[in-house]
Amino acid sequence: MTRLATATAGPSITDQTPVPPTGYYVYGMVRAGVRLPDNLVGIDGARVHTIEHGDIGAVVAEISLERPPGRRSELLAHGAVLDTLLVHGVAVVPVQFGSFLADDATVVEDLLEPSASHVAQLLDEFTGRAQYNLRATYHESVVLAEIVAADPDISALRDLTRALPEEAAYAERVHLGEMVARALDDKRRLDASLLHRAIEPFAAASVERAGSGTDHLLDVAVLVADDASGEFEVRLEEVAESVHERIHLRLLGPLVPYDFVGAF
Amino acid sequence: MTVQQTHRRGGGYLERPAPSGLADVIEVILDKGIVIDAYVRVSLVGIELLTVDARIVIASVDTYLRFAEATNRLDLFEQGGKDLGEFVGDLQEGGASKKTSGAIQGVKKALTNDSDTSKDDDRPRPAKRPARRVRRSEDA
Repeated sequence: MTRLATATAGPSITDQTPVPPTGYYVYGMVRAGVRLPDNLVGIDGARVHTIEHGDIGAVVAEISLERPPGRRSELLAHGAVLDTLLVHGVAVVPVQFGSFLADDATVVEDLLEPSASHVAQLLDEFTGRAQYNLRATYHESVVLAEIVAADPDISALRDLTRALPEEAAYAERVHLGEMVARALDDKRRLDASLLHRAIEPFAAASVERAGSGTDHLLDVAVLVADDASGEFEVRLEEVAESVHERIHLRLLGPLVPYDFVGAF
Repeated sequence: MTVQQTHRRGGGYLERPAPSGLADVIEVILDKGIVIDAYVRVSLVGIELLTVDARIVIASVDTYLRFAEATNRLDLFEQGGKDLGEFVGDLQEGGASKKTSGAIQGVKKALTNDSDTSKDDDRPRPAKRPARRVRRSEDA
């Protein structure tokens, strides 16, 4: 962490008064005319405001251009600004963490003008909706036991490799793992489709997030209307209860629709 | 850190963490959102490493060996009667995940170790294994 301090060595030799250059850190984009919550501050405690052009506005705050962000507090601050907007019912299109623009003119010319119609469309889609991240994981030992019990070949290969020292049965172990991985893939497809069916009635849209690991089942971002979120959660609780011996469900949200900026 | 327990209804089988922990924030926010060309300047070593490491795809042989190891660790049939919860615990204690996740855990530690506030999970769900959470870098 100390590297940061040395990495931001001062600018080139200058005889001017050392005013550090500042620019705008961009959090997201909103409809023109929306009122931001009072006293909203972002990274470095800078006051957050909007720069508007046409139908949309950029949510920005001043920041020193010599110190690009990257610390945890800055990531958290970025998220907190957007969360505050969500909580206040302000539809917002999130901008990627770490995005800077030089000044008012570039905010308009490089960001707002070129993206106006797309962002306006996204804002329509996001209004009255929020993202929820659902992650389903297997109780690994339970599903592996199912797999061993269901396939005599796997079971036999397991008995063989268990009886030998690790080094002795390398090829057999790879083969066993491959068979188990295939069987797990099949199981996943089946279970994931069941989960998708439960989600579907509540999803204005959904985006699958990548996942891996022996316990991974499904990781999906779901865009849910605010007035359906209660029912959505009740439904998922029912599902979670009915599958809890094999599968664990975890639901994060409501969130700013980070995963849906490319979905419409 | 508002750890609001939101088991609002039902039997609480659905885990509902407050999304304020660093691990969740990283997963929710990093690499997400509208990309403004050429202006993205995230500098910190830790986060750059994290985004890079997240793109690592574990070679399939390693994956298979992990599955084999996990499968071979099962004692369900021979011993019977052992509590399932213990099995879950066993698997996490000494699984292959430990061998493959060192580098990434290091990065995560770099991001999380300057405070004690990042513990967002208060339920004994299977331990977080960063190496297994491979994130795609779709179009980045």
